Amino acid sequence: MPEVIIDGKSYTYEGQYKLLQFIQDLGKEVPFFCYHPSMSIPANCRQCMVKVGQYIIDRESGEHQLDEKGERVIRWFPKLQTACNIDVADGMVVHTQETDELVRRAQKDNLELILINHPLDCPICDQAGECPLQIQTYKYGPEGSRFEVKKVHKPKRIQLGPRVVLDAERCINCTRCTRFTEEISKTHQLTITRRGDKNYPTTAPGLEFDDPYSLNTVDICPVGALTSADFRFKARVWEMNQTPGIDITNGKGCNIDLWTRDNLVLRITPRFNKDVNGHWMPDKGREAYRLFNENRISRPLQILDSEQILSSWNNAIATFNEQVEEANKKEILVIGSAHASVEENYSLARFSNLLGLNQPVFVPHIIEGTGDGFLITDDQAPNTNGCRLLGFTELDQKSIKKAVKKASLVILLSDHLLDRGVLSPGDLDGKFLITFATNHSDTTKRADLVIPITTAAEHAASYVNVDGRIQRTIRAKETKYTNRRLDLEMSEGRLDRYGTNFDNWVTEENKIDCVPVWSFISQAAGAQDLDLVLNEGREIMDEIASVLEPFEGVSYHLMDEQSGIRLHLDTKEKTKT
Amino acid sequence: MAYEFTKEDLKQIEEIKSRYPAVMPATLPVLWVAQNRFGHVNPDVQKLVAETLGLPQAHVHGVAEFYTQYYKEEKGKHVLDVCTCLSCQLCGGYDILHYLEEKLGIKKGETTQDGMFTLNEVECLGACGYAPMLQVTNDQYVNHLTKEKVDKLVDSLKNGEKPQYEKIGMPQHENI
Repeated sequence: MPEVIIDGKSYTYEGQYKLLQFIQDLGKEVPFFCYHPSMSIPANCRQCMVKVGQYIIDRESGEHQLDEKGERVIRWFPKLQTACNIDVADGMVVHTQETDELVRRAQKDNLELILINHPLDCPICDQAGECPLQIQTYKYGPEGSRFEVKKVHKPKRIQLGPRVVLDAERCINCTRCTRFTEEISKTHQLTITRRGDKNYPTTAPGLEFDDPYSLNTVDICPVGALTSADFRFKARVWEMNQTPGIDITNGKGCNIDLWTRDNLVLRITPRFNKDVNGHWMPDKGREAYRLFNENRISRPLQILDSEQILSSWNNAIATFNEQVEEANKKEILVIGSAHASVEENYSLARFSNLLGLNQPVFVPHIIEGTGDGFLITDDQAPNTNGCRLLGFTELDQKSIKKAVKKASLVILLSDHLLDRGVLSPGDLDGKFLITFATNHSDTTKRADLVIPITTAAEHAASYVNVDGRIQRTIRAKETKYTNRRLDLEMSEGRLDRYGTNFDNWVTEENKIDCVPVWSFISQAAGAQDLDLVLNEGREIMDEIASVLEPFEGVSYHLMDEQSGIRLHLDTKEKTKT
Repeated sequence: MAYEFTKEDLKQIEEIKSRYPAVMPATLPVLWVAQNRFGHVNPDVQKLVAETLGLPQAHVHGVAEFYTQYYKEEKGKHVLDVCTCLSCQLCGGYDILHYLEEKLGIKKGETTQDGMFTLNEVECLGACGYAPMLQVTNDQYVNHLTKEKVDKLVDSLKNGEKPQYEKIGMPQHENI
């Protein structure tokens, strides 16, 4: 097998690798800025310099040439090479900054050059704390600068598009953002303008950077040149707490990180998953943080004397059971939701099953023509396939209207059917509407009983995406009834760990008074003396896996290990992406 | 003002495109066609070029901005690029520049009212042996400048005469 010697250690490899990627895969480090594994390699930051050579082999004897000390002679490249664009070859000898003074010196001097016109405004820069330039300057950079004259000034605070702000002075012209628009999103909206020390990325004059994937350039910007217009100056990186999750705004189920501080989700960034979204996510998915924070339903709501008022949980459970008992079993319509997780839908189905009600139905939320074949799908809901695999009947607008007409009690899970225009207010006249919901909407306003439930940021539950991949979320945000310090799965940020209620940056206000669907249903069932105990997502998923054939073998453990499991969808039922 | 290529331009552009396997490399020569036609490649002209070639506007903008020889705004009919880099500076480049400023009544970087001349201060044009010198509209060099030579140049440009290419020999061959 071919072998390569890096810093005196020998590694064997198979296939083709670029040296920088190979070194990274080994868990070692070479600093770099412009390289990105899923884009082309321009090698223009010149930061990943390493010393590369090859043992000299005597052509006639085929043996290594030896020097006086009996050591193999190395023929070095005449100059240092950029590791990002050099192919790993058999018998290659590499010295990185760890063993070679020359490489250390080259990297240090290169950083000094890059920093000449960089403003060093880290204290007010959003990127500080997660800035490759800051980190690498700290690790490999010079202690000072020999450059003593005035820095070049360039435009600042330019609103490139609706979501991205440019600070040209901070830019080091790695061209990651322009390559992103050329190679990944293919909108070709960005270019580098001017040259020398005056260059910076921008759009063509008069055009906006309104790429539906524009915020990915903010993520890959190795400095603070491109920042998110929305997240700008909201929080420092080290104050926040990063929890993995799933994008619930469309059918792709992009893997994301939720960044929370004091139980508010402040931003959403993509998390790498080679089978789903790579390094990217659409801008729309990042807006979803508002869903978790704003306009939330806290405490149950009930209509009393034609006015919706806040109610208590005991009241809500009593009303719920009363209505279910009173109504004719055949006149109860249970509507599941593609916007809710597999576990939530399953809990509802279990409950209606126990009561002898009909299997829940659901109305897919698919808008034809909105998808782009990349990460934006026609499907507006994260779990359409999950509902299908649970065996829910798929209804279109006509048949749901008919079904509602026949019913006297409608139990609706987390789907804003009125707002979506599937039902009109007239359809619900004279019906008792119970809805489980996360956010206020026209539908919840109409509902006779609203039960506030947890969002994807507050419960651990799984979603099946358009390709049939089941992935799960982790609790990122506390509700009134969960506690970060007791729940071992929830991660703790610095403020979460050390903040107390007496600090002005920790409040109780951001905790929503809501429960997961399954705990409400367990309580309601308990009050009816039904044998139904659903504790948490993990257990429910184990139950689903043992009962339902499409979910066979699925468990949280396996999902975590393989970052999602591909389920077998009936090909006929597969939705268009 | 709406810019449009004439039929001849379009024919020339087609010919340029046929020279390359892809459209992108045609950007540079087509920008020249545009600059020769309109005298500059301002954002509107860049847009026209992008649309004619079917390339992203941002790409054409980036290319046009990279090269100083493309004029990104309207300039005078004659652009005088006076070199003030080291050799010219030592031989009186600044004297020539200031003389021109006085003579034309404009500051460097400006255009005369009648739209005849634009005066620029530029870095080395690679003619240190003939310093001080200037370049006329991306074209001929005028070397060994003196005030008289400048007067003559301005007059002849006003009369519509372009300076001729000047052959200058090497000192070691004694053929200056």
